[in-house]
Amino acid sequence: MKTTFKFIAQPGLEDPSLIVGWNRDAGRIAPKVIDFLNGKLGSQKFCEIEPDRFFPLGGVSVEDDCIQFPESSFFYVQTRDLVIFKSDQPAYDHYAFLNSVLDVPERYGKVKELYTISGMVSHVAHTTPRRIFTVFNQPEFQESLQSYNLEGLTWEGPPAISSFLLWIARRRGIHGLSLWLEVPFYLAASEDLWAIRFTLSFLDQRFNLNLDLQELDIKIREQNEKIDRLRDENAEVNRCIGLLESGFSLKEEVQLKLAQEIHEHLKRDM
Amino acid sequence: MGIRLYMEPKLKSPIMIIGWPGIGNIGLIAVDTLRATLESEEFGEIEGCDFFYPKKVIIRSGLLEDLEFPTSKFYYKRLEKNDLVFFIGKEQPRKQTSSGYAGGEEAYRMANLVLDVAEEFGCRRIYTSGAAVALIHHTVRSKVWAVPNTEGLIKEIRGYPNTILMSHVEGRGGQGFISGLNGLLLGVARKRGFEGICLMGEIPIYLQGLPISYPKASKSVLEVFAEVLGIVIDFSRFDELFQDVEDKIEDFYRHIPLEVKDYLEKLKEISYPRQPELEPMTEEKRKRLWEEISDFLKKGDTKDEDNL
Repeated sequence: MKTTFKFIAQPGLEDPSLIVGWNRDAGRIAPKVIDFLNGKLGSQKFCEIEPDRFFPLGGVSVEDDCIQFPESSFFYVQTRDLVIFKSDQPAYDHYAFLNSVLDVPERYGKVKELYTISGMVSHVAHTTPRRIFTVFNQPEFQESLQSYNLEGLTWEGPPAISSFLLWIARRRGIHGLSLWLEVPFYLAASEDLWAIRFTLSFLDQRFNLNLDLQELDIKIREQNEKIDRLRDENAEVNRCIGLLESGFSLKEEVQLKLAQEIHEHLKRDM
Repeated sequence: MGIRLYMEPKLKSPIMIIGWPGIGNIGLIAVDTLRATLESEEFGEIEGCDFFYPKKVIIRSGLLEDLEFPTSKFYYKRLEKNDLVFFIGKEQPRKQTSSGYAGGEEAYRMANLVLDVAEEFGCRRIYTSGAAVALIHHTVRSKVWAVPNTEGLIKEIRGYPNTILMSHVEGRGGQGFISGLNGLLLGVARKRGFEGICLMGEIPIYLQGLPISYPKASKSVLEVFAEVLGIVIDFSRFDELFQDVEDKIEDFYRHIPLEVKDYLEKLKEISYPRQPELEPMTEEKRKRLWEEISDFLKKGDTKDEDNL
């Protein structure tokens, strides 16, 4: 069975770079970064991957009172030769799906560079400096980005879909980089605005996007203030975050409770 | 993409023997043991990336080194009578099935790729192997249920040792269903003109849901292969290797509540092709028995359950 693409427009791109983000992401980093880029850069949607081959379509799920449906959309930024792909993770035929993700920008020449964005749940406090980990698929590409002072990840275990995409990209001769942003576990279900900003700042530098990130700075400050208020009101929350700030870890049940408290608090104040 | 052959050995009237995981890993253990015993040589594979999600990624200092997929490999062995081609798949493609078995387009594609290799090397006979969930006791020697993909093979199967046809199984009347690729492959083989036989080792109904292998059934399947291929297999290493599994099964059985065990004890008396002492077990009784055993397992009142 072949992948069905639905083209809405035919952009005039040349050897575009590709940014990929998955909808379900810790700290909502990938969808928020992509929405921000699309909003600020005036990206246009030009293609979709039809879901029938890759997603279960026996019904639809409802989340936050709303019907959900698999999305796999390509956007383009003509002035920057940039393709942005935002999608749910497929349930079937991952290999075919991920090849299709590369097939679309390759209609416009060779994909220059591939970037994937993901959050990585960590036991750090939101007040501590966060790290951005990287996984490159080719050593020469890693060397070429040394000036960014990115920390290399070391890991052996089950792969994320971004690693599978990176591996396929290597087989196709495409330079690829996965960005993994540390997300405090208690912000994983909310929005980690700091990590979102950090990612945008990297992409801004990499692609000379001239992004205005001031509004995000304000939102980060507001989020931090909200958490500070909760810390003032709730001694246990304050104690837990204090322990994390001092480099201690928390028991699983304490982690869950803290995550729930903060998620509900941030949601309430929205 | 698809098949990757590292060499192209010239083979004499080869038979292909195929093993995939399944209930009790009966077929996989039988076929893999035979492959290893005969010191077969690997000569190709079906690339996993098109069928499976990778099992493992290796990343070192920020560099993606490799992805590992479940393997699907071909081996060959020259023998006096017929040469052998083995195919060992460590996982079945699972798209669109909730059973955990292969199904749909991917399974069909995988079956055809395996048969493409069979065809290329001149195999005209295929064997697959799996499990037959049966009303037997674990202390009883497992029989082998054999299902051919063409009527012409029935006579030959009647000559296999310790083997029965579906029509010999009480209440089945020659009917049945073979889940996953062990069955599908024989269907596709029939369509493409290959002879095929599925050899299924019996596993007691009360052990089918346990996450352990059932070596007794694998051994019965191996005995049939030894007869078919005219070879002698020394089982001492096999017995030694799987003694701990046998011990675990015994231990599990010791912890089954008496009321369930009383019923299970009667299974010792069942024999094919007739069941003189017991009334035939109806589907309803079979279901009830399985529910009782499942309830027992869910309660987790066996000390060593985690070790099973």
